[in-house]
Amino acid sequence: MKYETVIGLEVHVELATKSKIFCSCSAHSYGADPNAHVCPACCGMPGMLPVVNKRVVDYGMKAGLMLNCHINRTTTFDKKSYYYPDLPAAYQTTQWFAPVAVNGLVEIETSKGKKGVRIKQIHMEEDAGKLVHDIREDTTHVDFNRTSVPLIEIVSQPDLSSAEEVEAYLERLKTLLRFAKVAECEMAHGTMRCDVNLSVRPEGSDKLGVRAEMKNMNSIEAIKRAIEYETARHIDAIENGTEVLRQETRRWDDIKGKSYAMRTKETAGDYRYFPDPNVMPVVIDDEWFDSIKASLPELPEVKRARYTDEYGLSDYDAEQLTKSIALCECFEKAYEVCGNAKDVANWIISEAMSILNVRKMTYDMLDVDGKALGELINLVSGGKVSRVNGKKILSAMFDDPHIDPAKYAESNGYVVSNDTGLIEKVVAQVIAGDPKAVSDFKGGKEKALMSLFGRCMKELKGNCDPQVLRTILIDAINAL
Amino acid sequence: MERDMLRKLELLNQLRLTEEQKDDILAFFADREKEMETLEKFDTSATERMVHVMPITTVVREDVVSQPFAREDLQRGAPETDEGYWCVPRVVE
Amino acid sequence: MKLFATKIDTTSERTMVVDDMILTKDTPTTAGSKMLDGYVSLFEAEALTRLKNAGYALCGKANVGEFAIDLLGETSQNGKIVSGGKLINASAEIVSSGEATIAITLDVNGSVRRAAAQSGLVSIKPTYGTVSRYGTIPVACSGETVSVMAKSADTCREVLGAIAGHDDKDGTSLSEELCARVKQNESAPRKVALLKSMTVGVDGEVAEKLNAFIALLTDNGVEVCEIDDEVIATSRIAWNILMSAELCNNVSRYDGVKYGYRAQNFSNIDELYTNSRTEAFGELLKTAIIFGSETLSTENYMKVYDKALRMRRVIVEAFAKIFESFDAVLLPACSTLAYTEETVSANKYLAFEENLYTAPASVSGLPAVVAGGVQLIGKAFSDSALLELAKLLEKEGK
Repeated sequence: MKYETVIGLEVHVELATKSKIFCSCSAHSYGADPNAHVCPACCGMPGMLPVVNKRVVDYGMKAGLMLNCHINRTTTFDKKSYYYPDLPAAYQTTQWFAPVAVNGLVEIETSKGKKGVRIKQIHMEEDAGKLVHDIREDTTHVDFNRTSVPLIEIVSQPDLSSAEEVEAYLERLKTLLRFAKVAECEMAHGTMRCDVNLSVRPEGSDKLGVRAEMKNMNSIEAIKRAIEYETARHIDAIENGTEVLRQETRRWDDIKGKSYAMRTKETAGDYRYFPDPNVMPVVIDDEWFDSIKASLPELPEVKRARYTDEYGLSDYDAEQLTKSIALCECFEKAYEVCGNAKDVANWIISEAMSILNVRKMTYDMLDVDGKALGELINLVSGGKVSRVNGKKILSAMFDDPHIDPAKYAESNGYVVSNDTGLIEKVVAQVIAGDPKAVSDFKGGKEKALMSLFGRCMKELKGNCDPQVLRTILIDAINAL
Repeated sequence: MERDMLRKLELLNQLRLTEEQKDDILAFFADREKEMETLEKFDTSATERMVHVMPITTVVREDVVSQPFAREDLQRGAPETDEGYWCVPRVVE
Repeated sequence: MKLFATKIDTTSERTMVVDDMILTKDTPTTAGSKMLDGYVSLFEAEALTRLKNAGYALCGKANVGEFAIDLLGETSQNGKIVSGGKLINASAEIVSSGEATIAITLDVNGSVRRAAAQSGLVSIKPTYGTVSRYGTIPVACSGETVSVMAKSADTCREVLGAIAGHDDKDGTSLSEELCARVKQNESAPRKVALLKSMTVGVDGEVAEKLNAFIALLTDNGVEVCEIDDEVIATSRIAWNILMSAELCNNVSRYDGVKYGYRAQNFSNIDELYTNSRTEAFGELLKTAIIFGSETLSTENYMKVYDKALRMRRVIVEAFAKIFESFDAVLLPACSTLAYTEETVSANKYLAFEENLYTAPASVSGLPAVVAGGVQLIGKAFSDSALLELAKLLEKEGK
């Protein structure tokens, strides 16, 4: 018999806000000292009251719209109770009754073609803290930096049927959320985490099989392996009766390549949700809704088409530039300033992207101001700065995004000199110092000229129009 | 049956009750059960639930960071800390 | 007899005592619970800050029953206070004796109002949302209110004027404009309804107080009518559900990990939680936790909790209907003017019955004034108008 795998995902994404969802502590917990970003509220002390961070709602709405959801214009918060050391108040504030976004659709593309994945809902909630188990053997250490960092949970319908589709779906989510600038979505940093719900049924059946839930998967590769393992385990159980399948939570051990049933408490799942009396309903009026709608980015595929159609870029260039919203924005701003799309594309693809690669930064981390890049390109193409020095200036712009290229060129001696007297003086010195090269060139060795040219350029610190230098150099040799 | 329910509620709320307390609580529950009958006389099927008595909406706050509390102060009354962490017996995953 | 949890020396003429539900810096705040023995907050209540700015000096923390859900404070970890066989409330006694000019308390389950009625003091439980709850120990957030107790209506009104106002730190705080309405000079109500259904079960002394107050009102040209209403009396049932559920959730944070009491013996995390909570919490609190938890269980949520939320609207609408014809409602604040030690030991859960009289204002968020041993409930923001009626008593010298 043929089987099909039915998969639904619950994806937690940390929102890239500055402060936490209900208090003003910094939301950047990754890599911080333990409990450096905490206040009485996020370590469970009594007396502080939750006040909703506007940007969390902005981003929740944005995410919803990016995923084609209906936005609940009145959205409310609820309390979910359970005891665990990473949950300081023993409740999590989340959205149970009226989540910010519902009924969405995400289109994915795999080797089998295009497919829509329905989104059940997106809700906003606070993250839990972090537990550290490897400091002392008998003790778990508790860090509340991550407590109350805003999250959205994106719940899909069980519309996925393979590891390939899951990967395409997760990649698509990453792209959409990163383009909307609401989240980093870096599984290695824990800013994107994934629970996989999986069951197997005979192909064509409309009855769902027994569901296994795999929690907190932390890489796409692990998720793919886990899906393949679980699918095989379920089919084996159904066909050969190797085990009785139970609805349960399982832990994936990526090193052993196996999943294990997790021990569950008798009270598991009894979360006693109820509406939070301290958080009033969030009402999204037309003005707020419209401002968020207006701030949505063009989708990457739309940009790609526009870059080839409008700007005449090659498919390759358009593909490269749309790898991140930061690259796109830099490109578009630089183009506005200098008006030469191909030039800007070259600067970004061959220069900026290689600097990012060398510095081990992601394409989302490009922090170069597009306007400044456009100005730099103008300096180079106008012959005011040599391309070599232009690259040096770009590198400096990575270190300090506030650099003004023209001023920087000026103060660092990168401005091309029009002083032919100086060029002639340098040329005279260089050729006087190497008669052999001069005679070699006269004897027909083109290479000798290159060597003299290079030395002159070096003396001039690159600040010379190569064409001008070349003419003066040849004239000087011929005049000998 | 009722004792079973109480056992689950003890677990759920991290409490341990004496037999005498259980008897008291079951009596308390029985009284509340009777009171529910009074509420059930009111047909509320068309009534909207009222979580907040004041019909106001959330006033959101701007996304600004402020950090006026120091870790040492927050941990001053802590039963056990180590290297800036709160400590609990090892939680086995 | 221990009235003060902490006493602070002051030479100021205008002094305030705050009950142990109100967070203070530098001195402990315990909510009357062993769980928070010695707990010192890093910040203080907004109401306290505002009163300091208004010239009141803090003279101490008054003992309070564990998380303020009991009758008068008898479940405090410091023990009950009894005088002549009668239970005494610490805040009320401190104000009565003149040790403090005013008391600031958190009215969770009416103990403050019962205390004011039994001590002959005036108290105001303001309209919900007009006084910030920032810096109060949360128990039943949907209805609890920072309240004022004093010897005179004028003092209550002056203090309300100082503490009412919008606070950005409290998401349920009303706008400055709405808050200002509780301070506005209002003329005293002209028509008052006596809730007959709520006078059942009161003893002779309370009945006398009611009659005296009715006579006073009538003498002063206020029309008093008896009305029957079967809805308001259900407030107690709804409030017991809502309060217990919210309490269960709010006190779950006390688990022996971050601060406060931690049991000596445990071998794993669940034992740490369970032993700490079992050893530190008192009986009434445990009952409320267990009951509250049950109302929120999957099986009971719709039948019990959701029903209580809907009844809250039914009650609020019933009040609105009454206020179409009347300016205020008159009712007792308690069934008797003295709880003896015997009554309390005979019925552990009396606080969940005596709140018959206090639950209507708690569940609806309406303002309630206690004066002359009785209670008045008014429309939202009619706080000052209710206090005007209380002033009649003082004019008469009663």
